[in-house]
Amino acid sequence: MKLHSNPWLRTAYARLWVRAKSIYGEPLWVAVNVGFPFFTSFSFTMVYRAYGLGAYAGFAILGGVMISFWGNVLWSMASQFNWDKQVGLFEIYISSPAPITAILVGMSLGGILGTAPSAAMVAILGWVIFAPPIHPFWPAVVLVFSLTLASLYAMGMALSSLYLAYGREADSVNEALHEPVSLISGVYFPSVGGISPFPFAVQAAASLVPLTIGMDALRQSLGFPIKVAFIPLYIEALILALMALILLLASSRALRFLENKGRRTGSIAVRQR
Amino acid sequence: MNVLDERLNDAPKIREDQPGLRNVMNRVDAEITVEVDGLRREFDSKEGKVTALDGVNLQVRKGEIFGVLGPNGAGKTTMIRILSTLLLPTSGKAGVMGFDVEKEPEKIRAVINMASGAERAGYDFISARGNLWFFSQLYGIPSEEAHKRINELSDMLGLQNYLDRKFYALSTGYKQRVTLVRAFINDPKVVFLDEPTIGLDVMTALSIREYILKQAKEHGRTILIATHNMAEVDAICNRVAIIDKGKILACDTPAALKRSLGAPSLVLEVSPVPAPASLEPLGKLDGVKGYTSSVDEERGLSRIQVVVDSDGSAQSVIDSVRKSGMTVVSNWRQQATLEEVFVALVGRGFREREHEAA
Repeated sequence: MKLHSNPWLRTAYARLWVRAKSIYGEPLWVAVNVGFPFFTSFSFTMVYRAYGLGAYAGFAILGGVMISFWGNVLWSMASQFNWDKQVGLFEIYISSPAPITAILVGMSLGGILGTAPSAAMVAILGWVIFAPPIHPFWPAVVLVFSLTLASLYAMGMALSSLYLAYGREADSVNEALHEPVSLISGVYFPSVGGISPFPFAVQAAASLVPLTIGMDALRQSLGFPIKVAFIPLYIEALILALMALILLLASSRALRFLENKGRRTGSIAVRQR
Repeated sequence: MNVLDERLNDAPKIREDQPGLRNVMNRVDAEITVEVDGLRREFDSKEGKVTALDGVNLQVRKGEIFGVLGPNGAGKTTMIRILSTLLLPTSGKAGVMGFDVEKEPEKIRAVINMASGAERAGYDFISARGNLWFFSQLYGIPSEEAHKRINELSDMLGLQNYLDRKFYALSTGYKQRVTLVRAFINDPKVVFLDEPTIGLDVMTALSIREYILKQAKEHGRTILIATHNMAEVDAICNRVAIIDKGKILACDTPAALKRSLGAPSLVLEVSPVPAPASLEPLGKLDGVKGYTSSVDEERGLSRIQVVVDSDGSAQSVIDSVRKSGMTVVSNWRQQATLEEVFVALVGRGFREREHEAA
């Protein structure tokens, strides 16, 4: 079978296209996607500077970059199927021969593609304005960045299954998760390692979120002047790869389970009778 | 030969020795594309089990437009959801193109499509064309072929000039047309449509009905329509099953069902508007099969349609109404409609049934 006629690839590509096109289809969203993370990291950088901690500026800029992806995972991945269900798209997916994993993977890749320019803009603005000192080892940066995105979006896929099952309050759950997860995963300041304000138990719990480990790995590979490593970089890379794999498998199995359960209970569509 | 008879002649004939679901499941007779046997579906609710389908039996033939007619809550949507593999039966069997909905959903999904008139499913910031291309990819259709189909189907529905508009910018009617193009985008053998013209103006509804007729006639698709719109069933369906409270009450051609009532029904316009309870004695009169009423608020009248079995019964209904103190403003006899078939079967009209259910 030719690669381009493979139904799995066709579905994934089509979903990627829809996601990326939707993000760029509304200019206001692009402005918000760049503006919100930039002003967050700008505020924290100014606070660091005011207290004579200019060397910490890089932490806040990196946080601004990663919070763009975290926001995309939470608002556009995790709650997407629940939204799809409300408008009748989910039943179209299920009643078609399309593999649901292809839809999730396409959605993730489209999300990354749609968010990357905003994240890059935050990085460029931050580095141009604040010029934080860094000594990156680029191969490691590229590797851990890719692994962080893979595990983060795999978490989004797993959350999408959960939201599908218990998603009536999806927006409220998103609101409830956004800031606490941002805080404990270290997008504003290092939440794990040497200068973390949290006790070890909280740091260990925070490490269950791929973003926490990914942020620490990126801080290490970017070579910030303040060394705050939580665990060695290569172990973090392994953990991220493992998390991506486990979460991918978990989301695939959870969706299969929920489809079967939905067919039994009548919960695939909003209207039951 | 009128249009309806022509349609009936066009519909493939069922073999009289058709022995039932086992044949379909064994793929012996390809003429039957949808078959339902003893289908039952229950839902859990706070009040306990609710039975949506209660032992339904149906056979739909290849190329047929088959209507499932009933009031809201009768079980129509549940049946469509089971046949389109979104829901499992509690008991009984359902099959599409010889595949079992319970055991072979993947095989069914490859040959069907479905759409609901109430759905507005699409991505707002993508054009109608982009949305339709996306849906075509769920079936693995090559892009060139997909765009050809989008153009052909859109032409039939007058959607061509709106294809490049963003989905959110389309009116309800055009969104519904997009839904109907989507329902046929994968060249399906069987299509399930749930209230395809609900909420649409008369002209749009007409063009959609014409489109559905063409799809069945020119492409030999089997189309099962769940609706409470009697005019729609009358206009396009080869056969219709009347369903109420999860049970099929009758199944035949619309013309045969109407003929089965025998005498023309009686329509009375009365004033003042009676309380529903004061009409109940009508249902107990000899020769009355059932009645339904509606209020004409503008004229301050109530219109009562009574299904009677003879001219004598019609006269006794008029006498009874007069005796109860109402003024009969006008009365006439009319050829039976499908609603009157329902009234004759259930004793009440769609409106009363829906009020009871509420």
